[in-house]
Amino acid sequence: MAALVGLRACFSALQLSSPSLLHSSFKLCAVPVSRRTFAAEAKKTYSRDKPHVNIGTIGHVDHGKTTLTAAITKVLSGAGGAHYKKYEDIDNAPEEKARGITINASHVEYATANRHYAHTDCPGHADYVKNMITGTAQMDGCILVVAATDGQMPQTREHLLLARQIGVEHVVVFINKADAVEDKEMLELVEIEIRELLTEFGYDGDNTPVIIGSALCALENREPDLGVNAVMKLLEVVDAYVPLPKRELEKPFLLPIEGVYSIPGRGTVVTGTMERGIIKKGDDCEFLGHNRSFKSVVTGVEMFHKSLDRAEAGDNLGALVRGLKREDVRRGMVMCKPGSIKPHQKVKAQVYVLSKEEGGRHKPFLNNFMPVMFSLTWDMACRISLSGDKEMVMPGEDAALTLTLRQPMVLEKGQRFTLRDGNRTIGTGLVTDILTMTDDDQHNWG
Amino acid sequence: MSLTFLFRAITRDVAKVSVCQHLQSLHTGCHLLAADKALLMKLRKNTGYTFINCKKALEKFDNDMAQAETWLHEQAQKEGWSKANKLEGRKAKEGLIGVFVGNKAAVMVEVNCETDFVAHNEKFQQLVKDVTFATLAHHRIKTQSQDGYVKSVLLGDQLGKLSVGEGTSLADQVALTIGRLGENMSVKRAVTVRVPADWHIGSYIHGGVSSHTEVAMGRYGALVVFQGGKEGEQETLGRKLGQHVVGEAPLSLGNDNDLPCGESETRLLPQTFLADPSRTVAQFLRGQQARVLDFVRFQCGESTGEAAK
Repeated sequence: MAALVGLRACFSALQLSSPSLLHSSFKLCAVPVSRRTFAAEAKKTYSRDKPHVNIGTIGHVDHGKTTLTAAITKVLSGAGGAHYKKYEDIDNAPEEKARGITINASHVEYATANRHYAHTDCPGHADYVKNMITGTAQMDGCILVVAATDGQMPQTREHLLLARQIGVEHVVVFINKADAVEDKEMLELVEIEIRELLTEFGYDGDNTPVIIGSALCALENREPDLGVNAVMKLLEVVDAYVPLPKRELEKPFLLPIEGVYSIPGRGTVVTGTMERGIIKKGDDCEFLGHNRSFKSVVTGVEMFHKSLDRAEAGDNLGALVRGLKREDVRRGMVMCKPGSIKPHQKVKAQVYVLSKEEGGRHKPFLNNFMPVMFSLTWDMACRISLSGDKEMVMPGEDAALTLTLRQPMVLEKGQRFTLRDGNRTIGTGLVTDILTMTDDDQHNWG
Repeated sequence: MSLTFLFRAITRDVAKVSVCQHLQSLHTGCHLLAADKALLMKLRKNTGYTFINCKKALEKFDNDMAQAETWLHEQAQKEGWSKANKLEGRKAKEGLIGVFVGNKAAVMVEVNCETDFVAHNEKFQQLVKDVTFATLAHHRIKTQSQDGYVKSVLLGDQLGKLSVGEGTSLADQVALTIGRLGENMSVKRAVTVRVPADWHIGSYIHGGVSSHTEVAMGRYGALVVFQGGKEGEQETLGRKLGQHVVGEAPLSLGNDNDLPCGESETRLLPQTFLADPSRTVAQFLRGQQARVLDFVRFQCGESTGEAAK
């Protein structure tokens, strides 16, 4: 018995020191250029490429997040789906260390048979919230790594809380270091515990996929059941469990209006860049914004002086609209599928306030601060009310705010905007909720 | 000859050990697993130590919960130190500022860790609280005989030697928390002030995360020592001044008659007052019949001149 215990202790010690072991046994390799931005830009070629999904690893320190990432790239590199990244390449990536102006959250990418993944790590809570707000990194799903030797630990909770907060709905659990635990009972206990934890944080704990394995085994090519096969299984589960994000093309169309021109003999044309959806000749449309709203029909779509049958999200186009007069519409309004979006005056938002180094103000702002809000092609004065017991927002911080606009403008949940004061950008934000105006709010603007 | 003897001795010992083991497993064998599992879950729930350590502890003490728990605590302390030594040198720039204002005395401390995930953690916040009270107690003893305004600054190493009751030092406490949370941590600095009866201490903490009510914690903190102010409104006044200090980050106090020099003003009194931009701090104070005598501002993770010395 005592001998067994000793043996286990040895194993766990070995496990703990694995980073340094790996360190010494690997050579450096060149860092391939990330293809992530490329994939995001090439919207129009989605159909030919594999669908792109952003995934991240979360979990307590030393539970093997980085080892797992290395193992995934190693396993997939066999099938040509990834460049093998060694542990120290990921861990010592300068991007992860430099917590400067922007964080390049994803520097690992790989592809399974069905999908292309960008892999994100969590440098810090505030950093991640900032990334979410500014839109530099999104997580469509994440892998929660838990060491079988430890069970859930303090940071497991903190990371799950973060995942919940930034709206990650799909979590897959990987119980790591299973090779260091000898009896199945322990693994079961760890699994029960983690399912309880997931339920506690509002996830579907009972049906969350849990994979048991060892990233280290996969890296060292031993015990394939716990190693390579477990990692493969994990990827299969991620493929199946994390759904594809809804693409811009599938949503109802939205065209923020940039300019209005009347063309003699033809009528009035509105121009702009399609935000999302598809527009065709003969589609019904609705104009909204600046306290106006009316419906009409698109009678023609043009791009580069050539008429087209349909235009897609990302296209810069002009649309000829039936019965429209030049003075009916102005920049800042939108043309959209009727009923798909509404103007609002009061919203809740998560805002990141730029620090002085990022070009923001050096001063904090207090309640009732009045900057100008810019979104799509419109801008409008707004008033900030801080929520909860917060009295002040410092540069470099994120905060939950309530914004009241002087006039209703087109706004929806998930829309991004910028706040400016004078000639300086103060911050950027994301609408998290739509609120209704009360009489008090109206009165305050009077 | 001696070799064979040695060999024989070894085989005998090995046999003995294996017999012992056998007996033990016979003794507990059947019901161990069932009892073990429930107990293991319970022990882990109670203590929060790792599964593997809980299991070890139960095996070691034959499922005696009380003994196992004590052993786990000792083990945690040991592991904490070894972990602390291993992680030493890793950059710890996140963390929390803790502020406690008592009767005419106040403490402000900074404790660092590596990521803000840990700063959100209850155990880390408990550590900040321990540091705050240890510093306060130390300060009380040291300055009992002195009168008037006392301000003392303590840095990392000195703080580590302070005791937190029952013979454990603050450094032990830090190591224990490092062991639990797995990140490098350090107690960076602490400042304590004590004022005469007719002076007041205002405090403000920004970006509060704490669930502890006694010690306010956040990413920025300020203490402002002032005199005067309208009766009953001193607390609000102190808070407003503290907020200004956190927001505008003045470096020095300046004089009442200083002329403001624009946006980059670093002297407190000529700065534009944050809560009322139409006035300077000096003008605001005149209206309140108050006088600021001193202030301290901590920003989490900032590099300090004193630390470099």
